[in-house]
Amino acid sequence: MKPELEKVHAVFLTETEEQLVTLERDLLTLESCPGPESLRAAFRTVHTLKGGAAVMGLTEAVELAHTLEELLTRLEAGVLVLHSGLGTLLLQAVDAMRELVGLRPVAEPDLRLPAKDVHSLLASTVEAARPLASSAARGCAERLGAESHTETPHRERTLRVGLDRLDRMLDLTGEISIARGRLTSMLSQAHRYSPQQLLEAHREADRLYLDLQELVMKVRMVPIGRTFQTFTRTVRDLCQTTGKLVRLEMSGEDVEVDTTVTELIRDPLTHLVRNAMDHGMEPPEVRQACGKDPTGTLFMRAFHEAGSIVIQVGEDGPGLDRERILERARERGLLGPDEGRPDAELFQFIFEPGFSTAQRVTELSGRGVGMDIVKRNVEMLRGTISLETTPGKGTTFFLRLPLTLSIIEGFSVGVGEETYVIPLEHVVECVELPQLERNPGRTGVFNLRGEPLPYLRLREHLSLGGEPPSRESIVVIGQGRGRAGIAVDTLLGQGQTVIKPLGKPCQGLPGLAGSTLMGDGRVALILDVPVLLQQVLKAASSAAAA
Amino acid sequence: MSTQPTASSTQYLSFIIAGEEYALGILQVKEIIEYDTVTRIPGAPPWVRGVFNLRGSVVPVVDLAVKLGMAPSHLTKWSCIVVVEVRMGGERIVLGLLSDAIGQVIELEPGDVMPPPAFGTPVHVDYLLGMGRMGTGRKFVLLLDIDKVLSDQEVLAASALSAPVVASSEPAAPPTGSSSSSSV
Repeated sequence: MKPELEKVHAVFLTETEEQLVTLERDLLTLESCPGPESLRAAFRTVHTLKGGAAVMGLTEAVELAHTLEELLTRLEAGVLVLHSGLGTLLLQAVDAMRELVGLRPVAEPDLRLPAKDVHSLLASTVEAARPLASSAARGCAERLGAESHTETPHRERTLRVGLDRLDRMLDLTGEISIARGRLTSMLSQAHRYSPQQLLEAHREADRLYLDLQELVMKVRMVPIGRTFQTFTRTVRDLCQTTGKLVRLEMSGEDVEVDTTVTELIRDPLTHLVRNAMDHGMEPPEVRQACGKDPTGTLFMRAFHEAGSIVIQVGEDGPGLDRERILERARERGLLGPDEGRPDAELFQFIFEPGFSTAQRVTELSGRGVGMDIVKRNVEMLRGTISLETTPGKGTTFFLRLPLTLSIIEGFSVGVGEETYVIPLEHVVECVELPQLERNPGRTGVFNLRGEPLPYLRLREHLSLGGEPPSRESIVVIGQGRGRAGIAVDTLLGQGQTVIKPLGKPCQGLPGLAGSTLMGDGRVALILDVPVLLQQVLKAASSAAAA
Repeated sequence: MSTQPTASSTQYLSFIIAGEEYALGILQVKEIIEYDTVTRIPGAPPWVRGVFNLRGSVVPVVDLAVKLGMAPSHLTKWSCIVVVEVRMGGERIVLGLLSDAIGQVIELEPGDVMPPPAFGTPVHVDYLLGMGRMGTGRKFVLLLDIDKVLSDQEVLAASALSAPVVASSEPAAPPTGSSSSSSV
């Protein structure tokens, strides 16, 4: 085995082990309390396993997983009933899976069956339970995608760290402890020092804290290329199974992101790659007929942009079928019969649960485990997903993700008693709101160097009540090409912001990205700039129309 | 509380909301803290008072009075937050419950817990595990089913036959005939 492949294999084994444990748990849950939730969870795990095994070229494991999927689909459709014998068989299949990927089985020796026998048993069970109507099964497979929430299991996560980095950390901790001791002794004798001297001592220690923090963040950073590389095999294998000719191009492999991001991004990327291969790419003869190079190109690019990482997954296929999407949206009642939508909004429909325009469900994608899951996974990472498509030229998906999930540079603003934090990457500039252009109410427009700029008064927008002060400031926020102003009472300046998730009843509120703790121990809310921008521009356009 | 709890008795922590004494199983209660600065969350449900900093984690504070269909609580110097662990949508989460005052730790034998009456309780009976009888001739304490209270999307109004309960700490409402029978 090549050294690179060995690395990939090691990662694959760790992950597969975890997934098999999860699957076992799901199946046991399924036996104790049958329900669509646990069925879907099991189905998803098997689906992921299948993808992983396909990457490593373990055909037998892929086939076994596929049969398992079939069986679970039958269970969902209700043409099969889960009895204890079948439960045992399912669990044996998990062990067979372990055997096929090269992990040790966990069952008792007398309960074990060779993987081949398990597979044939499974296959015959599936065969025996012919669905009453194939449409029902397909419908349920689509429903499997429309999934709301699963509990992520707690699991051990590992990361390789160079020893020299750890040594440097140890040195820093040593220096910090000396600095701490010095500060303690100075403060206990505070009357002998001037405030300046004390502040100076603290500043010296502070530099060390920051160094350590930066180092810890750096240690967590890994190049995105490792994640990209796993798809080389995927594309190659998919070419063989589909008879398509595709070249994979990668760029920006050395862009570094937090290890958590790479872990969580793998699934969405897998879906996007498979989707591009399956729906995006035309067979060589079709391409040639269109006057294109028979070998298609699938590209994965990564680059930094204003504190986020942007990952592009795209191909030079036929582009999205606008008519088909329109038709499907009407079918599903998302649009009225004669209702039209601008393209940008129309293409957003493909992220709706169960919205597949595939004419046929293939082994690669379809099955309804689709774009909605991708979108949800990306949004869970505080990222966004968008797409660009040109008929005949191809489709590109853009994932924009934060580099780290825990600390951002924030810009604090005050409104009345409250403090809010705006991620600094979105702050363009700050200006004072001219007296002449102030008008009461939630929104307004002011003149920024000759350009009209719509603004939103945070006090009104968040219905905080109270009167704005005589002088207000505007923070100009921007994302991409969009610009808008946020009117606040005071500007409090920038600083590092540790992101804390909001608890359950406060999650998922529009306009809030999370919360943070301030120096005095109070909680400040972090504003979600992209959402705010949309709200300002929407309000401005409706005001203009009025 | 010098008495040793017997094997069959359960301990509860009682607290006051809008003049009524409610109680939770003591095992659900993590700690009791003074009411401090709570940051409002724009757009959150009305029964969420906001979030506060509990030793470095951000914890939501729930105004149970609103959740139980009463007027929002007023802050006094006795106001405090009961930090509990509840199940919400299959997850265990930590929440703060705003209460007007802390009562006491009570011990109830299984025989002291009565099923709630069909009506007449200040909160909807679905939210109650039962009524606890404290000693002889003492009043009842309402045992809350906190998981159910919090996972309900809408507020169940009390099925009381009396006039709507006005929180004692509220400024007196304009006299609009307080004896008017509410339509049930």
